[in-house]
Amino acid sequence: MSRFQTPLLLIFGMVVLGGLASLIGSEQLNFTLTEMLIRMVVVIGIYLFVGNSGVMSFGHIGFMSIGAYATAWMTLPPEWKQVMLTGLPVVFQDNTYPFPVAVLASGLAAAGVALFLGIAIMRLSGLAASIATFAFLAIVFSVYSNWESVTGGTSSVIGIPTVVGPWIAVGFVCGAIVAAHAFQVSRVGLMLRASRDDEVAAQSSAVEIVRMRLLAFVASAFLVGVGGALYAHFLGVLTTDAFYLALSFVTLSMLVVGGLQSLTGAVVGTLAVTLIVEVLRGLERGLDLGASHIALPRGSQEIGLGLALALVLIFRPSGLSGGKEAAWPRKRG
Amino acid sequence: MALLTVENLHVSYGGVTAVRGLSLSVNEGEVVSILGPNGAGKSSTLAVIAGGVAPRAGRVTYAGQDITGGRAEEIARSGISLVPEGRHVFATLTVEENLAVGTYMHKGKADIAGVLERFPRLKERRDFPAGRLSGGEQQMLVIARAMLAKPKLMLVDEPSLGLAPLIIDQVYDILLDLRRQGMSLLIVEQSTSRILKHADRIYVLRGGAVQLEDTAANLRDGEAIKRAYFGFDEGAA
Amino acid sequence: MISLIQNLIDALSLGSLYALVALGIGLLFGILRLINLAHGDFITVGAYALIVPSTEAVAQLAIGGFHPILLLPSIALIVVILALLTDALVFRPLRRAAQPSLMIASFAVSYIIQNGLILIYGARPKNLNLWPALTGQIALGELRLPTLQIVTIVTTLVLMIGLALFLKRTSYGVQMRAAAEDFRMARYLGVRGNLVIGMAFAISGVLAAVVSLLFLSQTGSLETGLGVPLALFGLVAVVIGGMGSLVGAVVGGFLVGAIVTLLQAYLPVEMRSFRDAFAFAFVIVILLWRPSGLIRAKAFDQRV
Repeated sequence: MSRFQTPLLLIFGMVVLGGLASLIGSEQLNFTLTEMLIRMVVVIGIYLFVGNSGVMSFGHIGFMSIGAYATAWMTLPPEWKQVMLTGLPVVFQDNTYPFPVAVLASGLAAAGVALFLGIAIMRLSGLAASIATFAFLAIVFSVYSNWESVTGGTSSVIGIPTVVGPWIAVGFVCGAIVAAHAFQVSRVGLMLRASRDDEVAAQSSAVEIVRMRLLAFVASAFLVGVGGALYAHFLGVLTTDAFYLALSFVTLSMLVVGGLQSLTGAVVGTLAVTLIVEVLRGLERGLDLGASHIALPRGSQEIGLGLALALVLIFRPSGLSGGKEAAWPRKRG
Repeated sequence: MALLTVENLHVSYGGVTAVRGLSLSVNEGEVVSILGPNGAGKSSTLAVIAGGVAPRAGRVTYAGQDITGGRAEEIARSGISLVPEGRHVFATLTVEENLAVGTYMHKGKADIAGVLERFPRLKERRDFPAGRLSGGEQQMLVIARAMLAKPKLMLVDEPSLGLAPLIIDQVYDILLDLRRQGMSLLIVEQSTSRILKHADRIYVLRGGAVQLEDTAANLRDGEAIKRAYFGFDEGAA
Repeated sequence: MISLIQNLIDALSLGSLYALVALGIGLLFGILRLINLAHGDFITVGAYALIVPSTEAVAQLAIGGFHPILLLPSIALIVVILALLTDALVFRPLRRAAQPSLMIASFAVSYIIQNGLILIYGARPKNLNLWPALTGQIALGELRLPTLQIVTIVTTLVLMIGLALFLKRTSYGVQMRAAAEDFRMARYLGVRGNLVIGMAFAISGVLAAVVSLLFLSQTGSLETGLGVPLALFGLVAVVIGGMGSLVGAVVGGFLVGAIVTLLQAYLPVEMRSFRDAFAFAFVIVILLWRPSGLIRAKAFDQRV
């Protein structure tokens, strides 16, 4: 039982959150909550690689982009695709696939790209690998922004079925939590974490480490790709610049604020950053205090998030979770 | 009079304790040596004195001033020069530039030419990148560089490590020369033979604490050192 | 022949810009092991500092209206102050932090600066024609050379020679090189760490300021993200050239300039829009082929 208390606690928390939201029943709240939960899938996905391997990735939002567009190709109405996305292969142009198939396939597409990329870059040192992931993000962005016949280029792709609401999102978050937890307590996960903590151990079996990192990279890209697909089915609209530096920054902030080294950190960080952002966004819209209307200028929300991240890095480098996992309160003996 | 005193020093890195409750002192004009096996806490002690590492507890006093946890550059400027283990030359800088780095803290012109006279090999290679020197030449260079900082106290970490015996003799010749000029030296070594000849006093460290402290003259036969070094019981040995 | 020379000049002037950016990034990396993702935003601030702060759609020149002799130092000063502030507020408290934390912190700085600019100047791009005189051409026989490109190349050469002289001939320069190679040892020899780091930030700021003026003269448009692609290409140049080597940064900058120009000139038309993707893919290839870059910095090798 105690082995599973972390995922159970986290899942319990998410279900309570979903329940509370549906009790309140505000549309705005549901929207915010769903978006947050989808980001949580993505952040848990990034955590699966970064947290276990200790290698920073700036490129995972590229996998999100890949997942989001893949599901769009599979689920958009054929008439639309045949006019707007003329470069798509005929299999995609003539057919639509059901949501579960499309989401799964999107995750697999991202995982496939990650396998290809990972074989190349996982043997690099931490810093070089981080820079390579950055280059990857720039490549995905550049290709998707310019490949008009397949992605619509800089114009939006619209009309993706919006089937994802809070409960579906809660379901996927739970799945992501279970998957990430299963990985980190598996033999591979434990060994990878040991290699992260101890450079010397890492050098003793370099080939093995590279293989384990690769596995984590692919699994993590799968989750992030699924997150991208969910995002597409939540908004219904895709633009390539939604998957670039700004979203990379927000998701990395979530991971760092919560604490890079624990699954609980990924979950808590997503909650905390969403809270910060929403409060600031509310302040940007303005407060009515008596007769006067006070509002923060546009841009305050982002600046606030940037400051929050910097403060966490300086004053609490292991994040809100302190690198620990959620557990039942225990009596100290 | 004690130039340097270290009292009850504790150092730890993360969860690992390297030094526990160490005290020592160096008097003016004295050559003091710290002996001990790997991991005894010798290098950590030097690093704390030189300001490279902040101690968990304890006090370092130099020339009557508390310098505990001070910044490395300020401690260097107050007259303590560290020659760390492993010959840290600036590999892409020339020999002469390496020497120059040691002189910048003094406003007046330091005597690079004079020091080069003392080291003919370095003089020949003054325009070479320091990374291309041999191990012995690099050791000479770091000592020469430390000399140019004109310290009152020089901390030398394992000056003989990885060098041929002939070169070690040269290194010690220079160190003894410095002493004759009135400099105090605190030398860390692993091997005992040479240091017993040259030091005034010896501390033997093991497990981060002083096991034995005495004058070199009293320890000349080496038996007591061996016992402290390897941790044999007085009776058992 | 003419078009070849033209391409060469294009490559050199683009490479000059990238080399200056790469130097700014490489200098900080050398000393702090910091990959400063905010360097591009230093450039952006330099460009915005030319105009009156307002969210109006039309840009009003402020410092931009000064005589160049006054304009250059003013912009440089502003960017240097920004760079020093960044160090004091963010990077100094993180001196002992791990490398990924530093990189993320610089990402945060970048995000804050960009949104700060939006807050002050609004998010819409603004047109700004800084030095109209530079848009002309110099005719050399049949060859017509754009004045701006020549100015860019010459400015870059002057700055590089200046920087090289500073690093080689002055005591501060030698201290900076020593610190870049072995920061701790340099401090043991009395080199003041924060002073050296401050100088590196300041020089990096001056380089960014010059790039902002050159780049703005080329594009004629202010935009809060204008420095981002420059920083990305500069980072690419640093990696290709060899992290921790300033010569490598310069070589990398010119190489990236050449690659981008060649791709632009010789890729089939329908592939041209993927130019940047090819350039970034090239980074990954270089990293795989030579993880430490073309020119390998010894100090960096030992530490990683």
